Amino acid sequence: MAQTPADPSRRRWLHASGALPLAAAALGGATAPARAARTPTRAHIVIAGSGLGGLAVANRLTALLEGARITIVDAKEEHNYQPGYTLVASGVWPVDKVRDRNADLQPAGVEWVRDSVASFDPASNSLTTRGGQRIGYDFLVVATGVALDYAQIEGMDVAAIGRNGLASVYPSPQAAQATWAAMQAFAAQGGEALMTLPATPLKCAGAPLKMTFMLRDRLAQAGTLGKSRVQFMSALGNVFGVKVVNDNVLARWQQLGIGVETSHKLAAIDIGARRATFTTPEGERVERPYDFIHVVPPMRAPDAVKNSDLAWKEGPFAAGGWLEVDKTTLQHRRYANVFGIGDVNGTPRGKTAATVKKSAPIVAHNLVEQIAGRKPDVAFDGYTSCPLITREGSAMLIEFDYEGRLTPSLPMIEPLQDSYFAWLMKVRMLKPAYLAVAKGRV
Amino acid sequence: MYEIWLVMNILWEIALAVWPLLLVGGVLWLLLMALALRRQRPDWRGGFRLALLAFGGVAVLAVLGVPPATQSSLAEMGYWVDWANLLAIAAGFGAIAAAFVWPLAAWGRARPSA
Repeated sequence: MAQTPADPSRRRWLHASGALPLAAAALGGATAPARAARTPTRAHIVIAGSGLGGLAVANRLTALLEGARITIVDAKEEHNYQPGYTLVASGVWPVDKVRDRNADLQPAGVEWVRDSVASFDPASNSLTTRGGQRIGYDFLVVATGVALDYAQIEGMDVAAIGRNGLASVYPSPQAAQATWAAMQAFAAQGGEALMTLPATPLKCAGAPLKMTFMLRDRLAQAGTLGKSRVQFMSALGNVFGVKVVNDNVLARWQQLGIGVETSHKLAAIDIGARRATFTTPEGERVERPYDFIHVVPPMRAPDAVKNSDLAWKEGPFAAGGWLEVDKTTLQHRRYANVFGIGDVNGTPRGKTAATVKKSAPIVAHNLVEQIAGRKPDVAFDGYTSCPLITREGSAMLIEFDYEGRLTPSLPMIEPLQDSYFAWLMKVRMLKPAYLAVAKGRV
Repeated sequence: MYEIWLVMNILWEIALAVWPLLLVGGVLWLLLMALALRRQRPDWRGGFRLALLAFGGVAVLAVLGVPPATQSSLAEMGYWVDWANLLAIAAGFGAIAAAFVWPLAAWGRARPSA
């Protein structure tokens, strides 16, 4: 199933030409890192993970530091544009649009250890890879992302996604593509659909909602909506963490005929028999037959973080083993030479690419301050964004902060307004913006 | 200012994705300009009127065609921000068309030598 992302020669050319905007910024007065005075250092900085967060920080540090040794530790050769998974899974994009070569996005001069982190030992400033290599560091950036804990759902088999009405957009581009196949087959016949939501923090918490909106839209387009029922099964007391958005979505779903049951956690699934079992806080087990089910897995920090001293030891983020960072500086609360970026952070909200866009410059800046012997002095407000697709052709552009306040980037944007512009951003502009973030330019 | 920088980067990344097309278009435009400039007494003023017509025509087509080309429709124009963006995009397409039509029309409508 795995394929090499196409067009490596073109991408090499593109990567080389990616330096041009930096040059333009240096000449023109924009706020790119190339303009800042470079801090001399001999420090060894290890970046664990090369998703969007790891790449953005690596590219920024390369521009901000003179003489530093930077090492990226990550086994993956393919970089996936995960914000595009819902577009693939709902038939808007072909799968190739979310697949790129990891090497094309890494800065020149950075050492790449092609292996995964098996364990962190922050007391000795080192980590060990799965292959047994021990790597010491002066400073560490944890950018490992999340672990999808499908194992918490009894009977779940990721390899079965796409068959027997089983869908799940999260694991990979192939799973997103298989989800689209399952959605098409279901839309052709209609029937009973269950859309699940776990109780853990999620990356892209809007994705389960987008999939629900798009499934309903595909049923309407196929003419099978009348003989179908779409039911959203939330393990929480709501469907989205920001109240004003939650209320808006629930009102829309009521109009669209989408049912909602709260406090129902997916506990088990019989894929062959197409039956799902949910548990309630009272311990009741509720079994539901389905023709189509979208499974959103519980999420937690990867084992290497969860089992290390880097994880929260108490509080709401301890159970998931999330990285214990200060939510404003994104510096580790106990190990001053460690910073976190992206989904792995144990912070109140924000496991999206938009969070990385806003926080990567802050992490890079604060880390440089730490290297220079100063205190991190720039604060992150928890900004995140969710272009929430409401049907094919329309979306809402929702941006908010740690406190759940809506924070539109431009004052004229109405966050809860159905909008072609928000749709256009989602399908045509956000991937270019994402690439610019990964290259450390915005 | 950040939003302007962000938009510049988005346009840059989009341009990187279609650079062969941009290269061919740029070379073609230079050829048209060279053709018009080498012609004796090209009618730039008359050509400009045709270029304006091309601008208007292509912009109207873009208003009608861009939403379906992006898997949406005019019915999805929710509020004035949608219209403003669509009109800006249409104006961009119109300007590209005008840039090609102007030298071509100036060359074709060259005035005879006195």
